[in-house]
This record gives sequence, C-alpha cells and structure tokens, in this order.
Amino acid sequence: MEAVKAVTEINGAELVRRARAGDGTAWEDIVSNYSRRIFNLAYRFTSNADAAEDLTQDVFIRIYRTLDQYDPKQGDLSNWLMRLARNLIIDDYRHRQRNPQNTMADAVDDHSYHLRAAGTSAHKEMERKELAGQVQEGIDKLPHDLRTCVILRDIEELTYQEIVDVLKIPEGTVKSRINRGRIELAKILRRMRVVTI
Amino acid sequence: MKKEQHNIINCSTFEELLTDYLDKTLDGTAHKSVAAHALSCPLCHSLLNDVKESLEVCRNISAPAVPITRLEARVLSMTMPETAMACEDFEEHLTDYLDGFLPAASFHRWERHAALCNTCEDLPGMVVRSIAACYTYKMDELAVPDGLHDRILQSTIGTVQAAEVKAGWASELGEWIRGLRFPMGIPQLAPVAMMLIFAFLVFSQTVSADGTLAGVYSTSVELAEQTYQQSAIALNGKPVDVEQGPKDPVSGATFVNEEKK
Repeated sequence: MEAVKAVTEINGAELVRRARAGDGTAWEDIVSNYSRRIFNLAYRFTSNADAAEDLTQDVFIRIYRTLDQYDPKQGDLSNWLMRLARNLIIDDYRHRQRNPQNTMADAVDDHSYHLRAAGTSAHKEMERKELAGQVQEGIDKLPHDLRTCVILRDIEELTYQEIVDVLKIPEGTVKSRINRGRIELAKILRRMRVVTI
Repeated sequence: MKKEQHNIINCSTFEELLTDYLDKTLDGTAHKSVAAHALSCPLCHSLLNDVKESLEVCRNISAPAVPITRLEARVLSMTMPETAMACEDFEEHLTDYLDGFLPAASFHRWERHAALCNTCEDLPGMVVRSIAACYTYKMDELAVPDGLHDRILQSTIGTVQAAEVKAGWASELGEWIRGLRFPMGIPQLAPVAMMLIFAFLVFSQTVSADGTLAGVYSTSVELAEQTYQQSAIALNGKPVDVEQGPKDPVSGATFVNEEKK
C-alpha cells in the first residue's frame, strides 16, 4: 500500500515536472485524471451542468498557471490539486451567494449526459439516477453555510480539520454546521420521501 | 446382547413423574421407564411435548418485553427529571453520538431521550439514512461532458492536440536543475556564504600583504619555505641564523608585520 502510494506520488511529481517543462501529453494526463472529480465537485456546488463545466475549465486554467507552486514534498499531486480545486469552487460558491443575480443554482437541470453504472440493470440505474437527483435537490435546499459543510463532510469525506483549513472557520463552528446540516437534510429528504422511517 | 431392565409404568404414574423427568431429578431406572413410556404411548408423548413447549414459552416471556433502556429512561425521568436532555441538546449532540465522541454521561442521557421522546425518536435513523443517501450519491459520479477536455486543453496549452506540444530543451534543463536536491536549503546557504566571505576578509587582512587572494597564497608558500629551512638547520644540529628566520614563533600576522618593516 505504501509502495503504491509512493509510486503515485512519484508519477504525480513527474507529470507536473513534464507539464511545467511544456509537455502537452503530461498536462493532458493530469486533465484526464482529475477532470471527473473536479467536475463532480463543481456540480455539487452549482447544481448546473453548464455552470459546473465552466467552473471546471476555470479551475484547470488556474491549476495550469500555478503548477510552479506544486512541491512534491508537501503532499501528493492529488491532495494539492483537489485542495486547490476545492478552494476555488468554494470561493466561486461564496461569490455567487453574495451576488444572487449570478446564481444558477435554481436551475436544477435534467442531466442529459449519462451516468456510468456498468453492470447494473436499467431499472436500478434509473433508481440510482433518481436518488442522486433527489439528494442534490435536497442539498440545494440547505442554507449555504450548512450546505458547504455537508458536501465537504458527507460527500467529499473530508476530516473536520481539512474542512477547518478550507473554510477558515473554527472547528466548533464546523461541527455545529455539519450537525445542523445533517439534521436539516434528513428532514428535507423525509419530506421528499427519499428517506422513510 | 444384554437387554436393559426398566419398570413398565402406566399413564397415571407417567404424569406424576413428568415434572421430575423434565427436571432430570429421577434416578436412572425411573428416568428410563418414563422415557420408554413416552415412546410407547402416543397420548403421553403428546403431553410431554406440550409441557416442553409451555416451559419454553414461559422462559421467553420471562424476558422483559420493554427494553431496559426505555424502562430505565422512564424511571429516571420520573425520579430524576433534572438529568433529562432537552430536544435542542439532543439534536446538537447527534453528530457526536454518531461519531462516537459523546462522553459517557451525555451518551446515556442522549440514549434515554432517544428512547422516550416521540418527536426525536426517528431523527437518528433518518440522519443515518440521509448520510447513506449522500454516500450513494457520491458513488454515482457524473461523467465528464463531451468536449470539456478539449476546452480545457485549448484554453491552457492552446491546442487540443496535446501530443504536438513538446517540451523545449531549455525548459527541460530548467526543470532538471530545479529538480536537483541540494544538501541544504537555498535560504540556509546565505549564512554559509557570509561566513566564507568573513573568513576570506580576515585572512586577507592578516596574512596577505596586499589584501588579495594571490597574496595569501604567495605568503603561505614563503612561510612554508621558511619553516622548512629552519627545520632542516635544526635537524643538522647547527645554530639557527637569526637573519634567516624570525625569533618569534612564525605566524602570518608577525611575519607580515616584519615584512612591512
């Protein structure tokens, strides 16, 4: 396990080194490896495929411009890249909260793109797709401070300390928001009959 | 073949001995007689089974129908109402309870509230299912929309044909130098450089006549030559010529001073 991790770190560092030197293939590899995660994170905060796409593109432009700042000694590429992406996406989310005219969160669209669910029946896939849509709808109804904490904790699975670092708020506040967010989400999902007693 | 001996008993005796038989308090012969009768008489066999079932049912209903927590909670709420937890506190501690971080005292108060409060009793289950729904949602990641990769590549490296973009030798060299690992960090080299400059200045002012690095070197050679000559004379047992060497111990500072004279 440690060996695999070490190899991943070396590969990440090597990819960044080549990308910094101007190797297009290395940069393409980085884009391919992380675009899905970053796009999904953006989608959870925007609830809109077009907005998430634009945001993902902006995030990669910022990453490309800051590749010089990546230091393999301070953690592997995945951590550095996702931390940067998370900060940018949350900044964008906060900015949209302050400027509601720019928000696109109300337009919960129908995802025209397919969900990858190899090996499952069509019916099951539809059910899962429906559940995913309902959970996203429930999350959208949370107040924005609770929503950020719930996404980071229960979907992104960050630790309390990581959330403290990203949001720059005290740990007690983080815990309290996660707690209230979970309770609110449970009540919303119950009203939507997603969660039954 | 040895045939086992036992007394044949009638149905009335069977009923009398039944309880002792089930309690296994009969002696060996009597126990065998009751067992033999149960096998031979269908009515008594049925009676034995009925009694066994009744005993089993009695044992089961002797277990408390109400969970201890609920009973305990009810008793404590009536006897020590001040230890009860308010609904707001119950909600506030929910995540700590699920994470297992709730201290023992609060943990028991929390569980008692969950057992008694009709408003809150469903909340923990709902929250757990809601978290599970979030995890399911996480597993169903959306696929990257078509064309997004190309858009990203176009806006960063200026083309969608990434293979056409090659690293230049200068930037490769730059990256290679950047990747070199020095034994100490760049900021730590500054005091080392300062120490070297200071050492050079001290030597150039004390040893060298003209204050240059070449002066330090030539003076060192002269000093070495002088020392060698003195050693050779001393080895041959001849008296040291005062004209050939200084009386004071040889040092850069004294020699330079004398040289200046």
